[in-house]
Amino acid sequence: MRRRSFLIVAACTVGVANLPARARAQTKPTVTVFAAASLREAFEAAGPAFTKASGFPVSFDFGGSDTLATQILQGAPADVFASANTAQMQRVTAMVRVPKTLARNRLVVIAPAGDPVVASVADLGKSGTKVVLAAASVPVGAYARTAFGTLERDPAYGSGFAARVAANVVSEETDVKAVVTKVALGEADAGVVYTTDVTPAVASKLRVLRFPAGAAPEAVYPIAVVSAAPNPAGAAAFVDFITSPAGLGYLKARGFEE
Amino acid sequence: MIRAAVAAAAALLILFIVVPLVALCVHVAPDRIVHAVTTPMGRDALRLSLTTTACSLALTLALGTPLAYVLARSTVPGRSVLDAIIDLPIVVPPAVAGLALLFAFGHFGVAGPLLDALHLRIAFTTTAVVLAQLFVGAPFYVRAARAGFVSVSRTLEEASETLGMGPLRTFARITVPLAFPVLAGGAMLAWARALGEFGATIMFAGNLQGVTQTLPLAVYLGLQSGDLELSASLAIVLVAIALAVAGGVRVLERRAS
Repeated sequence: MRRRSFLIVAACTVGVANLPARARAQTKPTVTVFAAASLREAFEAAGPAFTKASGFPVSFDFGGSDTLATQILQGAPADVFASANTAQMQRVTAMVRVPKTLARNRLVVIAPAGDPVVASVADLGKSGTKVVLAAASVPVGAYARTAFGTLERDPAYGSGFAARVAANVVSEETDVKAVVTKVALGEADAGVVYTTDVTPAVASKLRVLRFPAGAAPEAVYPIAVVSAAPNPAGAAAFVDFITSPAGLGYLKARGFEE
Repeated sequence: MIRAAVAAAAALLILFIVVPLVALCVHVAPDRIVHAVTTPMGRDALRLSLTTTACSLALTLALGTPLAYVLARSTVPGRSVLDAIIDLPIVVPPAVAGLALLFAFGHFGVAGPLLDALHLRIAFTTTAVVLAQLFVGAPFYVRAARAGFVSVSRTLEEASETLGMGPLRTFARITVPLAFPVLAGGAMLAWARALGEFGATIMFAGNLQGVTQTLPLAVYLGLQSGDLELSASLAIVLVAIALAVAGGVRVLERRAS
């Protein structure tokens, strides 16, 4: 009995010790990319092409940019950070190299396809409308709140519009994809997401309403190599690839702008 | 040799549990904890956690006590199936519970048309928080209470009834007092589980300060938005509560044995 458990422990130890060595022998080290949740579809599509071009396997960690920034500040072993706004990139300024602008995105209001409550952006402030936003620390949550503040200056919406919308918020989600899911499930009457989040997978469940011209801020995505990247060569290769015409093609195909 | 290995393994696990909890406390000065708990977000989360767990505990006792008694006393066929159903929320991951609750009580859920007809909307309300807590917490009480009722001799109950006490009075005056330490221990565990509930809550009830943002959600969102001090302070409050509960359960267990 004792002998057998010793063997199991020994086998586990040998197995674990062997793993990285074997991985190293076969391929280059993996690049770990922390990216805003809204970049999921574009980055996942670009991943295999990047690996093919550079030889670096890539693994993605998608989440709210605020969560990812906090994790980097706490020493998470990220090689690259792509944020959905400059504010979250600025939080990690001391820990990343100079960021490049990756892409731009637009805000839209989404509503469940069969839910008639919200017919226009103004209806977000109508009493009884159930609105789901990302938390204010999440970039899309911050952009949405800025947009409501801008709309207040338009007499059609009126002063107090932002406060009326805020009073209608029933949940503050942790990233933009959670907002999409809650609206697609019909749990809320409307939410604010990026135009790129209305993917073919959910498009049939959603109606899309556009903000009036000039009301919504343009979302800007900075991308940077993390200074303490465990894989600096892979990190630089990923940033070079994704900001090249070939890499940007994957973003544009999903509605991002240069 | 074996004794040393056992001692080393035991010490390792104890350290593994103690070190992170101590690290949490080292992170924040005591006056900052008080400050964090008095911020609007901290205060709302504490108040919401206390009120919702009080509600879910009351529901657990009201619905769980009869069920536990039936499971302890009856010999109906299918009792083992009921036992297994009661155990399910303990083994199912909270994220699964959250998804299941959403598909049951959400807008497009199984009960959605009925709830719509009654003009009830549960997702994103404090009710959803209580339901999530009830789902994950109640089984802990029912299991304990059933064991407690089983430990009360049926002869004592029969004697009481032959002496003219009705079944309800017998239950209240004989069964419950005899099983009390076990019942209270189970109730405390159920309450503590409800207090710590996170996964099912954030999926089913969402996250809104003062409405559905309980202490564990505030801890998570504090970390997420970079407010580590708030996050750690509220975490320490939860650890303090957990210590009190663990101590209380110990005392009751000692009294029971």
